Amino acid sequence: MNAHEQEEDRIRQVLQQSLRPVGAEHEPNRDLWPAMLRRLDAKPASTPWFDWALLAGLVAVAALFPSAIPVLLYYL
Amino acid sequence: MNTHPYLRAYLAGIFIPTLVLPLLLAVFIMARIVVQVPTPIEQVMIFPMAIVPSLFGLWNMLYMVSHPSVHHPIGLHGAVLPLLMAPIGALVATHLNVLQFGSHGLIWFQACTIPYALVVPGFLFAMAAYYLVWKYIVGTLNRILGIA
Repeated sequence: MNAHEQEEDRIRQVLQQSLRPVGAEHEPNRDLWPAMLRRLDAKPASTPWFDWALLAGLVAVAALFPSAIPVLLYYL
Repeated sequence: MNTHPYLRAYLAGIFIPTLVLPLLLAVFIMARIVVQVPTPIEQVMIFPMAIVPSLFGLWNMLYMVSHPSVHHPIGLHGAVLPLLMAPIGALVATHLNVLQFGSHGLIWFQACTIPYALVVPGFLFAMAAYYLVWKYIVGTLNRILGIA
């Protein structure tokens, strides 16, 4: 074994000592991919009826009192 | 993305006012030039241009600061903002002759009369609009920017 190989061997040993071992105990105890797929496929939360009613009320008020629209825009 | 959270909150907050401002400007210019409504655009634009965006941004920063301890929904947080903005806006508008107190109601922009009986319902109308804007627009932006 020449000096270069000895140096490589020493570096390998130092690296093995400094890095944490990756073994079976560091893996999750179940497959996470199906849960990930379920989350990707999940529909976003639907808008509650209360918010639709509120929006309809706002549209109705704006239609009945159009003079309120510039005032509301003034505050946006 | 954990850097500059306050800056991101501020930017998410000012998104809607800066989007609405050109629209508002277009409406007032149309009203003044096309329909010949004697609206003083210069005075009208001061509050929406100088104060509203900053208030929205600061209010969203306040939400970011207070949410971990209070856990209040962002829609409710936004719905409270008119309580702060209405008096400030009315004060600025009164001093700039944009708002006048007539015998029958509030006269906005020397053109729109809001009867006094409709002031409280109008305020509730504004709170409802703010609730929806903050819940669905500012809240979405907060999620996109990784704040909420």
